[in-house]
Amino acid sequence: MPMYTLDWFANFGFSVLRLSTPLIFAALAAVISRKAGMLNMALEGMMLTSALAGVILSGFTGSVWIGLIGAIIVGVLSGAIIGFSNLTGKTDLYLTCIAFNLAATGGTVFVMYLLTGEKSTTSAAIRAFSVPSITIPLIDKIPLIGKMISGHNLLTYLAFLSIYMVWFFLYKTRLGLRLRAVGENPKAASSVGINVTKIGYISFLISGILCGLGGAFMSMGWVSFFMKNMTNGRGYIGLSAMNIAAGNPVGSALAAIFFGFSDAFATMIKGRGGDFPTEFIEMIPYVATIAALVVMNIIRMGQKRKIEQGVKQK
Amino acid sequence: MNKTRRIETTVELVRILVAIGIAYLIALIILYAISDDPVFIIKQFVLGPLSSSRRMGSIINLAIPFTFTGLCFCFMYAVNKFNLAGEGIFMFSGCIVTLTSIYLGKSGFPPVIVIPLLLVVGAFTGFVISLIPAYLDAKLNANIVVVSLMLNSILVFLSIWILKYLMRDPSIGSLGSLPIPESVKFASIFGKFKIQAGIFIAIIAVIVVAIIFYKTVFGYKMRVVGSNPNFAKASGINMMVTIVLAQLIGGSLAGIGGACEILGNYDRFKWVASTQHGFDGLMVAVLARRNPILVPITSLLLAYIRIGADVVNSKGDIPIEFITVIQGIVILLVAAEEFMGGFKKRLIYKAAKDDLKSDKEMVVQEILADDENKIEARKESME
Repeated sequence: MPMYTLDWFANFGFSVLRLSTPLIFAALAAVISRKAGMLNMALEGMMLTSALAGVILSGFTGSVWIGLIGAIIVGVLSGAIIGFSNLTGKTDLYLTCIAFNLAATGGTVFVMYLLTGEKSTTSAAIRAFSVPSITIPLIDKIPLIGKMISGHNLLTYLAFLSIYMVWFFLYKTRLGLRLRAVGENPKAASSVGINVTKIGYISFLISGILCGLGGAFMSMGWVSFFMKNMTNGRGYIGLSAMNIAAGNPVGSALAAIFFGFSDAFATMIKGRGGDFPTEFIEMIPYVATIAALVVMNIIRMGQKRKIEQGVKQK
Repeated sequence: MNKTRRIETTVELVRILVAIGIAYLIALIILYAISDDPVFIIKQFVLGPLSSSRRMGSIINLAIPFTFTGLCFCFMYAVNKFNLAGEGIFMFSGCIVTLTSIYLGKSGFPPVIVIPLLLVVGAFTGFVISLIPAYLDAKLNANIVVVSLMLNSILVFLSIWILKYLMRDPSIGSLGSLPIPESVKFASIFGKFKIQAGIFIAIIAVIVVAIIFYKTVFGYKMRVVGSNPNFAKASGINMMVTIVLAQLIGGSLAGIGGACEILGNYDRFKWVASTQHGFDGLMVAVLARRNPILVPITSLLLAYIRIGADVVNSKGDIPIEFITVIQGIVILLVAAEEFMGGFKKRLIYKAAKDDLKSDKEMVVQEILADDENKIEARKESME
């Protein structure tokens, strides 16, 4: 048995936060779309394209910041493509997202091959850049907590900051109010003069920024190269996190951190070797989502029934 | 058939052809732009799949799973439920069928019994799994897209777990199941073409589904529920039963597809990631405009393009992956209502105007004739 020392706990906590980062970004991107009344299944593809763009741009310009900005721009462009197809072209949103994910999985490999001649990873062909890590002064001196929360990648801190920013945007700004109004009832929103299509575009663009950051973390923080299909279902996990919390930004982020925890747990058990079936741990986000949906909907049905009975009694 | 509907059908067909044409053109342009020897590569892409009997056989073999999952999505689409479970079912059914075949292979039953039994196992797997999202949607109103997506991921991990712990062959280096017994594997037929015998099951499936869709009461109910739910409700169709049942049939078809794929083309089960056959089936169904009779044709088309990409991949310096980009473009163009929507509207308006004009003329003539009659009648009465 390994020793469960303070160091071990600190390391584990550190990797939980690290693995949560892309999930938080994805969950928040899903939240923005959900609040505008849409289920954004394309998070996976959006993060993947941004991840590749970040690596390529930083590699060719030699600046990690240009790479980061490039990843965000490509994320926004992806959002714009989906928005154009869905809102202007009137294509079914689910089909649009599936088509986009499909194109992104193959398209990224194709672009990678054209630029580097490699088909699986850019690690050998493109110079590696990483967004810097930050040591927080004073806090890093605290025994257990210091090691857990200090020394992370800049984007990890940005992810936690984004939780607040998304919450602020949705509940404290005029645009956020309009976005929620469109999500609740597009016809009513339209009748008071809100441009529903414009709000739809804005939601996809903001979603794109968040996915851009998530993708950038994957290829310039988590590791420092691009790998074929490196998001590996994280977009869908972000989508589940959003669903569990029914679109609440703080709840969604907490769910994302919980999934980060189960991811770290699975990684740790795999690393130890042995015969434990990690498949069941890897299933947790998905099973939890279905369970949460079932419970939430049972409660909702119960409330509805109560209201109906109340109406009858009167 | 009235005029508007005829225009709609025609435009729809033209639209699909134009979409495929555009996508194919983009593919050719990409090939031209990135290849050192574009003429050779393009020739390989277009004619390569038809150049040998072996390759033509692979087109048909590839089209068989597409047909099953395409039919599956026809059912999901018919009742307007975006149930994506077909993707996970295909893989999981392959896994369960392999497991069953390994155990049944030892029992010594004749293949005449075992093979149909395995197909039933595949269908039943699909039936049970598609029940989960269908039931949760019907009873609890849980978002069917989310549930089925999550279910797909769960099924991938479940399949890997079954593969690793219940049927792994330790004697081979890579991760793979124990070999599927020779006796239950589908024979390849038509000599050089090497087509797997699952093709007969696929053909039967298409015919049965077409009959269900267009010749049975259930099929009619299903189409009414999908195209006009309010009317269906008002005319007393049991919505919930129809919707759930359609999805269960669809799921069973995907299950049979997984069984045929594994028994027809594989020696052992070694899928460790989702096979994408479900999403390909979705594309097939979209292209076929939910019409099961068109599913085999669109499946063959998709398989032809895929094999073309395979040939190019083996012959030249072009990565096969670009084909998924093309696939994405086709889905978007075909599914986009606005793509050539203006053209359709104009045609319908014009037809309506023409109708109106001729109607007007007829009315005018009737009135004139009426007037003349009246005048004559008056004349008569005057006299």
